[in-house]
Amino acid sequence: MAGALTLRVITPDHIVLDRQVDRVQVPAADGLMGILPRHAHMVTALDAGLVTYQVGGSEEVLFVSGGFAEVRGDTVRIVSEAGERPEDISEERASKAEERARKLLDDGAGGPGVQIDVLRAEFALRRARFRLRAKRRS
Amino acid sequence: MAGIRELRGRIKSVGNIKQITRAMEMVATTKLRKFQDRAVASRPYSEEITGLVGHLASVLGEEVAERPLFRRGDGAKIAVLIVTSDRGLCGAYNSNILRVADKWFAQNRAADGPDVDLFLYGRKAYQYFSKRGYNIERLFVEPELEKIDYRGAARTANDLQDAFLSGAYSNVRILYSAFESMAKYIPTWIDFLPIEASTLAPGGDAQDFGGDVILEPDAATIFDRLVPKYLETRMYNALIEALTSEYASRRASMKNATDAAGDMQTELKSIYNRKRQEGITKDLLDIVGGAEAVR
Repeated sequence: MAGALTLRVITPDHIVLDRQVDRVQVPAADGLMGILPRHAHMVTALDAGLVTYQVGGSEEVLFVSGGFAEVRGDTVRIVSEAGERPEDISEERASKAEERARKLLDDGAGGPGVQIDVLRAEFALRRARFRLRAKRRS
Repeated sequence: MAGIRELRGRIKSVGNIKQITRAMEMVATTKLRKFQDRAVASRPYSEEITGLVGHLASVLGEEVAERPLFRRGDGAKIAVLIVTSDRGLCGAYNSNILRVADKWFAQNRAADGPDVDLFLYGRKAYQYFSKRGYNIERLFVEPELEKIDYRGAARTANDLQDAFLSGAYSNVRILYSAFESMAKYIPTWIDFLPIEASTLAPGGDAQDFGGDVILEPDAATIFDRLVPKYLETRMYNALIEALTSEYASRRASMKNATDAAGDMQTELKSIYNRKRQEGITKDLLDIVGGAEAVR
């Protein structure tokens, strides 16, 4: 059954993706979650990570920075602040971001005021690593 | 009456002004289109977020009103965000906003009334209020209003949310120019925080959002993550709309200026030509008179 699911990825700037797919995997807050056609109505929070989807025989990936996914009537809608296809990701920028985040984490240990920064750096690191992974998978 | 040489100078300078205002009109037109496109592009996202918030609010029911962002703050003060432009030459855009603000202050800033802390976007508002001794808590300059993107708006929304959650304020309001049409921008107040639970009415297809929806991890968690996004989209929409209004207003006022300069140029030109002709006629008469005398 080809293209039984509609996958739409919506960001504040544009609709990144709107196409027919066979199956989708999303980075739900509780872990990766696979969605097949005829899935029950569902809303889930997402973490930063990779959305993978299959079209025909091939698998494609997309980076999302978090957000939410709603599955309803064979439509998967993902709303996220950032949704990037591998070709939109700059490997150089992502590597630099990764480096920066690592450096922050290495330097910033200790002191009560830096807790928020550490959290922020961890998120940044996570985003950078997933971006790189999306880039390399393609 | 001005001399003929003076007139020529004036015609030229009016022409220069006209060129400048026309250029500014064109710049405003392109920027206006850019912001309009952005407003259109962001609509699916904000509709989706607003829809989800509404649905989850209906799932959570009464519980919603208990959340910190839905309760009036303990503080006595009111936080107000006013959005104006950084630069002038945009007609009555800023003064319309400031007039509405003044009116509200006159009513709410009575001697024993609640104190108001201002959060400002746009230098015009800062100039205005700093001269009048208001308590300006913060002027947002980073990112510049003109360069606002979703992330910038999100940061502003988060700052206001933090200010609200710090307990210093009872509520947070925003005053911005809503974009009605190319010629109509209405200064509008929105109640940003606390969120009025009843405004989160679920969309038209609410009925099929029955009890059978799977919510991962659970309704409350999703909702608490969703609400800040909801505030961000509201902020982004308000700022984009304000910018659209600003540029529509700027374009209109520059167009008026260009038209006025054109009219003035025509008028000056006709005076100039009349004078020139008078001069020629006088010269001719002199020559003819002189020739007659010689004969």
